[in-house]
Amino acid sequence: MNVRLAIALLGTIAILTGCSSPGAASPAASVAASTPAASASEPAPSASAAAGGAVKATPGQSVKMMLLPKFLGILPFDQANKGAEEAATELANPEKLSFVGPTAENSVQGQIEFMTNAPTQGLKVVMLSNNAGDQIAPAAEAAQTAGTKVVTWDSPIPSAKGESLFVAQVDFDSIGVVMADMALDLTGSDGGEFAVLSASPDAANQNAWIAALEKALKDPKYAAVKLVDTVYGDDVSEKSYNQALALVDKHPKLEAIMAPTTVGIAAAAKAMQDEKLCDKVKVSGLGLPSEMVSYTLNGCAPEFALWSFVDLGYLTYYTSYLLATGAIQGTEGEQFTGGRMGDYTIEKDPTRDAGLRVLMGPFTVYNKDNVEAAAK
Amino acid sequence: MRDLGLRLRSWEGMLLAILVVVVALNALAAPGYLTVQNQINLFELSVEKAIVVLVMTFVIISGEIDLSVASVMGLAAVVVAVLSSQGVPTEVAIVVALGVGSLCGLANGFWVAIVGLPSLAVTLAGLIGYRGLARVLIEDRSVGGFPDWFESLGQQPILGPLPLALIIFAVMVVGATIILSRSGFGRYVYVLGSNIQVARFSGVRTSRVRLTIFTASGFVAALSGVLLAARLGAVRGSTAEGFELDIITMVLLGGVSIFGGRGTMPGVILSILLILNLRNGLGLANVTGNTQTGVIGVLLILSVLIPNLVGMARSRFGREEAVTLTSPGMTQID
Repeated sequence: MNVRLAIALLGTIAILTGCSSPGAASPAASVAASTPAASASEPAPSASAAAGGAVKATPGQSVKMMLLPKFLGILPFDQANKGAEEAATELANPEKLSFVGPTAENSVQGQIEFMTNAPTQGLKVVMLSNNAGDQIAPAAEAAQTAGTKVVTWDSPIPSAKGESLFVAQVDFDSIGVVMADMALDLTGSDGGEFAVLSASPDAANQNAWIAALEKALKDPKYAAVKLVDTVYGDDVSEKSYNQALALVDKHPKLEAIMAPTTVGIAAAAKAMQDEKLCDKVKVSGLGLPSEMVSYTLNGCAPEFALWSFVDLGYLTYYTSYLLATGAIQGTEGEQFTGGRMGDYTIEKDPTRDAGLRVLMGPFTVYNKDNVEAAAK
Repeated sequence: MRDLGLRLRSWEGMLLAILVVVVALNALAAPGYLTVQNQINLFELSVEKAIVVLVMTFVIISGEIDLSVASVMGLAAVVVAVLSSQGVPTEVAIVVALGVGSLCGLANGFWVAIVGLPSLAVTLAGLIGYRGLARVLIEDRSVGGFPDWFESLGQQPILGPLPLALIIFAVMVVGATIILSRSGFGRYVYVLGSNIQVARFSGVRTSRVRLTIFTASGFVAALSGVLLAARLGAVRGSTAEGFELDIITMVLLGGVSIFGGRGTMPGVILSILLILNLRNGLGLANVTGNTQTGVIGVLLILSVLIPNLVGMARSRFGREEAVTLTSPGMTQID
């Protein structure tokens, strides 16, 4: 009997300790998103000026399309949907756009399920922000075989298997450089230790950016800053918050946390603010002005970067529509007009071993001078 | 006894009726639903759970519960991934993973059958402990990069359009049905779940039967964890997390009594078919995630409520005696 009791007690303790966590809160309530100033539409980069000219879309064609973000429920993906809807209206596609996604906790399985079901649903194109690494490749390849195009945006399929095209928000290598620059800024002239708080270890874009950051740090210019740890908050506010606090405990000399994810950066900034650590540990990375404005003004997150997710959704829809209607084939060197955003060229993705990309760009660095205007 | 037989038959009848309705609605709503590829897809997306459902049926009929199956799945997947990534041949890693899973099951069985602790507590500890072990091994990483043959086992069809996991499932369905309804061991399982004292006095080696069931549960969970790793091609500490609830749901919806002693394999198989087809239909209609879980939850509640309400109504109107829970499935044993 005593044995039973003891074990029951042990079990209870295990459960209690396993589940208890510092009362974490979701990041600051987000103000309704106004498009970060319909940014300077950058014309097609590089493009060795083939005489053929850019392909223009013929509106009014019926194309069944699905916008599949990493998961539902955060502002950047809602903004991307807004941009895609804008393009859908402009192109007068009679088929309504499906905006669906799994939950953050079930992202990998959920995305694979959507991709697997896509051909059966009669979808002509799935627009995917991949959160399942190469795990989604078999389902994407099966979809392509069954006649459903797969256009990735925000986060590509690392091996490019099963992917028609990747609409890249910015050049992935340049994100590594901007993060290294911000880390150098925040740790001061004497440099210091910093850590990365990422989303999920299956998020292809996050992994590519961290790799680009590590590459950038090899430059002697950044010799004073040292990347000491990389942790994952899975784009869940509570987990990101706890991971940020754990970083501070684990690395007493930590001076900055770089979170290249909007969920992570807001959670980390809140954690530092709640624990009154903002003087010691600064937060930076990629964030939404509307979610970061208070942390930027109070000095917890003095600067961060981002691009327009509305534009990304818009351009992705345009590209996918052109591809699904056969106006473009998705081959290297093709040029097309992405509506209000101007002309683009399909090029080899230099940041992956394989795959084609359409490069959007640019990003904006926000600080106390411009964050308020962008947050409105 | 006859009432019970009728009731069981009507339970399966009810599941079949709902299944027919779901299939018909799906076929009407989604043109591609009845294609062979979609039928395979709908199995493939959940086949690892379905495999564990078969062994969980034995566990629950024997009057126990195994909450640790999803953690064992995750642990086995992690073991395969971590060992492979450190240069151990994947074949060896698979064998080690299956061994680890069987040991987990054996440990559960030891505490339940030999020490006499309640399986709810033991396997709850297993749920936490085995998951914790998996997380310690893999930390917060995503480990993949399996050899091609391993991934294609999980992803490519090997017999006609069927991938390996579906073939394993089909074979196990036949095996589990025969063992449960036609073998001496199956009979012991029912007796054990009906009344363990009776079982003991009738000379059933209860400890051995329960050890076997729990070890089998661990082994099968590990097997399906390995299959999951092959299908996904990468493993994390959270792989298969929360699957135990879906698995137990399918068993209970199949008409297996949570108190043990009662239930049939055909009922459980109908329940698997029903849930997979329902999920697929909802998925094709873009109803997903939490909403799907909600719909299936309602179905489970109704399936538990309706027969009991009918029983209560009958007893109130005095036409028939209420079906009680204390006269379990001896009808299965003759």
